[in-house]
Amino acid sequence: MIWEVFRQEEAGDRHTHCGNVHAPDREMALLFAQIQHGRRMQTNSLWVAPSDEIGEVDADETEFGGTTDKSYRWAITYNEIDASFAEEVAESEAEQEEAAEKRGDV
Amino acid sequence: MDIDDVKARAGPREFSPSDDLPLEYREAATRMLEFHANSEVMGGYLDKEFTRMAPSLDRKLACTAKCQDEIGHAQLLYRAAETLGVKTREEMLADLTNGDGKFLNCFHYPVDSWYEAPMIDFFVDGAAMRRQATLKDTSWEPYAHAMDKVCFEEGFHVKHGEDILRELMTSSKANQERTQEVFEDWWPRMLQFFGPTNDESTHNDFAQQVGLKTVSNDELRNSFLNMYMPKAEKYGLEIPESPRIFERDDGTMAVREDDLDWDEFWTIAKNDFEGSHEQIGSRRRRQEAVEWVRESMTDWETAGADSPQAAD
Repeated sequence: MIWEVFRQEEAGDRHTHCGNVHAPDREMALLFAQIQHGRRMQTNSLWVAPSDEIGEVDADETEFGGTTDKSYRWAITYNEIDASFAEEVAESEAEQEEAAEKRGDV
Repeated sequence: MDIDDVKARAGPREFSPSDDLPLEYREAATRMLEFHANSEVMGGYLDKEFTRMAPSLDRKLACTAKCQDEIGHAQLLYRAAETLGVKTREEMLADLTNGDGKFLNCFHYPVDSWYEAPMIDFFVDGAAMRRQATLKDTSWEPYAHAMDKVCFEEGFHVKHGEDILRELMTSSKANQERTQEVFEDWWPRMLQFFGPTNDESTHNDFAQQVGLKTVSNDELRNSFLNMYMPKAEKYGLEIPESPRIFERDDGTMAVREDDLDWDEFWTIAKNDFEGSHEQIGSRRRRQEAVEWVRESMTDWETAGADSPQAAD
């Protein structure tokens, strides 16, 4: 049986997928996960979940974010407004801009 | 862990569902999260009025996207609240329907014109974002994770809201006058958004001691005032004479709290204001109207569990 492994580096971080292990049950999966994935990389916590229990949809099957122009839902669209007056608004805009770059929209 | 351990360890994102936390902490965190989640729902319901009033297709699209975001934020927050093991999501939603669930003062005032859009979408959302940014450092980790996503999205709301204000205040004289009129109604409500002074706020101290809150009501209100008052003035809005605003020794501005209507505020806090009944009632009626959708989904789920074939 295959178990997917998710590692949290520091308390407060999200658990992110880091690999998988073969194990007959949850207890063994947790043990193997520690050995394979928690030994060298900084680790605060590990999760394991049976591979079969994970559902997936990928970019071949769907258009993430839809197929129409949704620029109206991004802060960067409203470029007559200067967000720098409030640090949290500016930060949100910077995060959105980074996401837009990764999606290939800019 | 007992409450002293919690106070000693309290820090940003310090506690997660794997920690054994005392009931007092879990109840305080539940109260905060439930209030926050309810406010997202009620804010979303209030905001949806603007889709119909919006003067252009672009604005309508942005308004619908914003409502969708707000309801999504509510879902994240109810999940983060549920992990505390005090109340289920169903219980919280039921309380909101029957009038026991509490939510932000600003969402107890029904809106009836587009001029109110920037009041909610710029000023109230701006105030909310001030507060939410500080909650990225809350001690309940699932709450902080929800704030990461919420703050990521909120920048669009505040900028879009300011863009509406800019548009109205650079258009006809009549539009400017009407915007000023509603601003005068909304200004004191916005200042009450952060609640009363610290010594009058019952839950404030404990929430700060255990790291659920990192910044006091007073600090938040004053920082909001110092950022958003210049914005109002920039677009030509006049700050009403009451409540009086004064300059403090350090050059920052603060409000004379005695000038605000706290009777109204506490009536709202009990869900007993005229607008409270209207907003809670209108949400309840809409919930009832789409009850058949939820029922059909539950039927689908139940049927699927008994015999997978039946779902086809």
